[in-house]
Amino acid sequence: MTAPANVTKPTLLASTMRIFDLSLGQMLWSRRSMLLAFLVGAPVLLAAALRIASSADRLGLPRIHGARVGGAALFGMMMWLLYIRFIVPVLGVFYGTSLIADEVDDKTLTYLFTRPIPRAAVLFGKYFAYLACTVLLVLPSVVLIYLLLGPIGGTLGEAFPTLVSDLGVLALGLTAYGAVFAFVGARLKRPVVIGLVFAFGWEPAVLLIPGYLKRLTVAYYVQALVPHAMPQNSVVSQLMQALADAPSLPASVVALAVISVVALWLAGRTVERREYVLEQ
Amino acid sequence: MTTSAIVAADHLSKWYGQVIGLNDVTLSVPSGITGLLGPNGAGKSTFMKLVTGQLMPSQGEIAVLGEPIWQNPGLYFRLGFCPEQDAFYERMTGLEWVTALVRLNGVDEARATEMAHRALATVDLTDAAGKKIGAYSKGMRQRVKMAQALAHEPDLLILDEPLGGMDPIARRRTIRLIKDWGRAGKSVIVSSHILHEIESMTANILLINQGRILAEGNVHQIRDLIDDHPHTVHIKAERPRELARRFLAYDDVLSLKFEDEAVVVQTGRPDVFYTRLTELAAAGDLGTIHEVTSPDDNLQAVFQYLVKS
Repeated sequence: MTAPANVTKPTLLASTMRIFDLSLGQMLWSRRSMLLAFLVGAPVLLAAALRIASSADRLGLPRIHGARVGGAALFGMMMWLLYIRFIVPVLGVFYGTSLIADEVDDKTLTYLFTRPIPRAAVLFGKYFAYLACTVLLVLPSVVLIYLLLGPIGGTLGEAFPTLVSDLGVLALGLTAYGAVFAFVGARLKRPVVIGLVFAFGWEPAVLLIPGYLKRLTVAYYVQALVPHAMPQNSVVSQLMQALADAPSLPASVVALAVISVVALWLAGRTVERREYVLEQ
Repeated sequence: MTTSAIVAADHLSKWYGQVIGLNDVTLSVPSGITGLLGPNGAGKSTFMKLVTGQLMPSQGEIAVLGEPIWQNPGLYFRLGFCPEQDAFYERMTGLEWVTALVRLNGVDEARATEMAHRALATVDLTDAAGKKIGAYSKGMRQRVKMAQALAHEPDLLILDEPLGGMDPIARRRTIRLIKDWGRAGKSVIVSSHILHEIESMTANILLINQGRILAEGNVHQIRDLIDDHPHTVHIKAERPRELARRFLAYDDVLSLKFEDEAVVVQTGRPDVFYTRLTELAAAGDLGTIHEVTSPDDNLQAVFQYLVKS
């Protein structure tokens, strides 16, 4: 079937962009994004509290386990503990798994699936809207934390290269986790539970096991890109440090790109073939 | 299957696990307006979802405008679908929503906006085009759904219970719109559980119950069988008691009762009753009539009656 004479048949890219346009506003003002704002707002508040505390302290440096640490180290710890290990996977799970599920639950998928566009474009457009939405909320919060913590015991300029690489790592993490969980959401029932088990059960467990199994995680490649040393504040962290077997930076970037592309392709293929039954 | 049919099904079945949605249906729907009549759960929506390619047949085949529909997105240039469910992007305005959906047909922004304006005007929503859908009444929501279905001027319009929740005036306009669409040489498949509604749009019906097509053909043959069967109408109105007082004077009204802000009427002649109701709504001297619905048990009873007779 061809398009009418005065209409251009929409390509996959054009359809993806139109779904992106349609979805971005919906996603930005969703209840999920309000939760996200709270999630990324909390570390900013924490950073502000640390800055105030350090200003009140005579030496200006907060103490952790009795030792005084500077702003750059605090910033690195927050990136590592809050963003890389928690916020990024959580966002991937909650947004990625809901790309199609939300349309199914809201029963609005019908309107998108009865238009002359490839069904995969619906998933791709919503995926890019997720990326834009999370990047727009997460990265500014990181910059704010940097501005708050950087001057503690140092200068903003010193830690600037670290900030740039951290922003890149976060964007890559959001890309890869989002793609993996988009596939989980398109393919499986109860995707949120499975996503949470993957991100907070499977990944941390497998990273502790020596061998090749850890290569089947996203965290293995994301954490290899982090420019900060892992804080050894717990037995688990010390164990992870001891068993660290990090891939090189280029290998990690390539691996994350491959994971993202393959997971997205699989998700698109699933959406093309799967039947979504909307409850009346 | 005949090639001239707009929809041709050949031993079409659809089941959801153990539940049968549609059972071995073979039919051919001619061009023009066709009514799909059946009680809730009869298989109407399943049939419509198969026709619109949202579901894949479990068995058998279905062709729409001569082509298989499943995984054939190009066919949607010629199809418009108005689903039954009351689901929207609530934060968008009617105009934004219809424009965004028309753009998915490969139309540029300016032209899509123009087409959306035209479609909204067709369903009498021009004044509310800039309002958020979340603030629309039930009838307006039904109409904006219609607008998105017909904005790209499809050859085949598929409407799943399009009159549900509309006030009498909007009902009359929508019925007229559907008939005009048919007269313009387009095809329409419209589902309802109310015989009177279907009858006011077309004489050509498909009777469906328990996943099977019971009868195809002229509505009047069915009508003759059930003419005396009482029909219940639920009318939500500003002044239900005054409305009821007026109904008491009608000889076709068999009984009356009140439920919250509504009056529930049993009539022996639904066509006459609906005509009078529309006139009352248009006159407006008994206050606003907000919503007219007809419970599903009307048709369920009719089917039981037909099976027995």
